[in-house]
Amino acid sequence: MNAPMQQTVVDHIDRAAEDVVSLALRSASGPLAPWEPGAHIDLALPNWLTRQYSLCGDPADRGSYRVAIRNERLSRGGSEYIHRFLRQGRTLGVSLPRNHFRLEPAPAYLFLAGGIGITPLLPMLRAAAASGVPADLVYAGQSVATMPFADELRSSYGDRVRIVATRRQGRPDLAALASALPPGARVYCCGPPAMLAEAEAAFPAGRLHTERFHPAPKSFAPNEEFEVECARSGQTLRVPADESLLDVLTHAGRPVGSGCREGVCGSCEIAVLDGEPEHRDDIGAPQGRMYPCVSRALGPRLVVDL
Amino acid sequence: MTHASTRPRRVSPAEVRSRVGEPDVKKRDKTLDHIGVYARRFIAHAPFLTMATADAEGRADCSPRGDYPGFAKVLDDRTLALPDRPGNKIADSFRNLAENDGIGLLFFIPGVRETLRVNGRAYPTDEPDVLARMQTEAKRPVLALVVEVDEVYFHCGRALVRSRLWDPGSQALADEMPSAGEMAAAQFAPGADPEAFDRRLEDAYRKLY
Ligand code: FES
Repeated sequence: MNAPMQQTVVDHIDRAAEDVVSLALRSASGPLAPWEPGAHIDLALPNWLTRQYSLCGDPADRGSYRVAIRNERLSRGGSEYIHRFLRQGRTLGVSLPRNHFRLEPAPAYLFLAGGIGITPLLPMLRAAAASGVPADLVYAGQSVATMPFADELRSSYGDRVRIVATRRQGRPDLAALASALPPGARVYCCGPPAMLAEAEAAFPAGRLHTERFHPAPKSFAPNEEFEVECARSGQTLRVPADESLLDVLTHAGRPVGSGCREGVCGSCEIAVLDGEPEHRDDIGAPQGRMYPCVSRALGPRLVVDL
Repeated sequence: MTHASTRPRRVSPAEVRSRVGEPDVKKRDKTLDHIGVYARRFIAHAPFLTMATADAEGRADCSPRGDYPGFAKVLDDRTLALPDRPGNKIADSFRNLAENDGIGLLFFIPGVRETLRVNGRAYPTDEPDVLARMQTEAKRPVLALVVEVDEVYFHCGRALVRSRLWDPGSQALADEMPSAGEMAAAQFAPGADPEAFDRRLEDAYRKLY
């Protein structure tokens, strides 16, 4: 049930800003799977870890993908590996692109990026500009030196792009941006948790689209034990309060693909045939689907299509 | 059982020196007092290591530790950290280290004949920034071991070459071993069902974090 992988080769690794590198991943054979702005991929690293990164290149380029990665101070082994040990010419398995952050049609767009959160917004901005829809970008980061693609953005889009170096200028005033928002405009925001929280407070929910790299702080009713029936095999399993549904399925020999295990990447998506899931993800599960790495059940039983 | 009369004879330290020579002088030249770039790359790709400790009386113990490659985190060029995972029985090592902080680590990378030796002193920590870097499958260890590095050196590959350790053909040796369940049942629970032991073990092996 693990998603099919595409083989790519690390074509080049470039420094995109302080502590940020961009990777160009060239197809090892034939065209790569198509994608739309907002999509991300799983990267299967040589150290067996899988990490998700937003595609930030050009969707028209079917020969390569581009991703940009910040070296996290508390790296759990993904970004540190890419920054220190990944080498040009290495083959890397890449998942098919997934998109939980689609660019919906609108008469105007406001893009809000915080730091490395610029990555999914880059192709969105390009797409909006190409189709002639007015689009503005407010791009915040600690200092310009830490912000990838700042020069490229300024030279391509001029004053449609506002770069805010927060250490000198403070954070952008989202409330002011909200009151100046053109009617019908949609807001796309990707950045650190504090920025997402401010955006959620400033913009009407129906017009705001967010993408998280880390789960939003939330609280839930205490975990309850429940039962899961795997419809295809007829197997029924007990999900104890202290274990995730994903782990129970995996330990029972029904492996489900997984990436973040935090309800942000969507790689563990499964179909629910019966019972009411308790959704705890940050993606927004489509009808009849759930993310078993974090989500549980509202009732005593779920039937899943496995 | 070995009896006094059949115990192999002991060779004195002086005699040992005369037969095998002085300790390798070249070793000293190859030894670094910090984690250099190649050692760091080695550690980042090693999924397995052995850890030797001893108690105050010098009673020694050696145990395996394994996880994804790079599970031993390099905090800086003189400091490493190892996660405590379920089943790693790190408690035994902690007990020794509380009395005697000396530690010897030997890192392995499948397919690489050379091994990396890191010796130093160790203590347990619960530092959140260290534990955060060890989170796997959404689980964070409760404790980690900090190793302050004194010596780092590559060990030549002769032992691994001679042992054919990475030769896939060598895995046929496993066929000559009874299962863990068979051994456990025979030694500790005569009459118990070895297959039940093995099943329980397989279940435990599926749940690694
Ligand atoms: S593993 Fe990422 S959403 Fe479940």
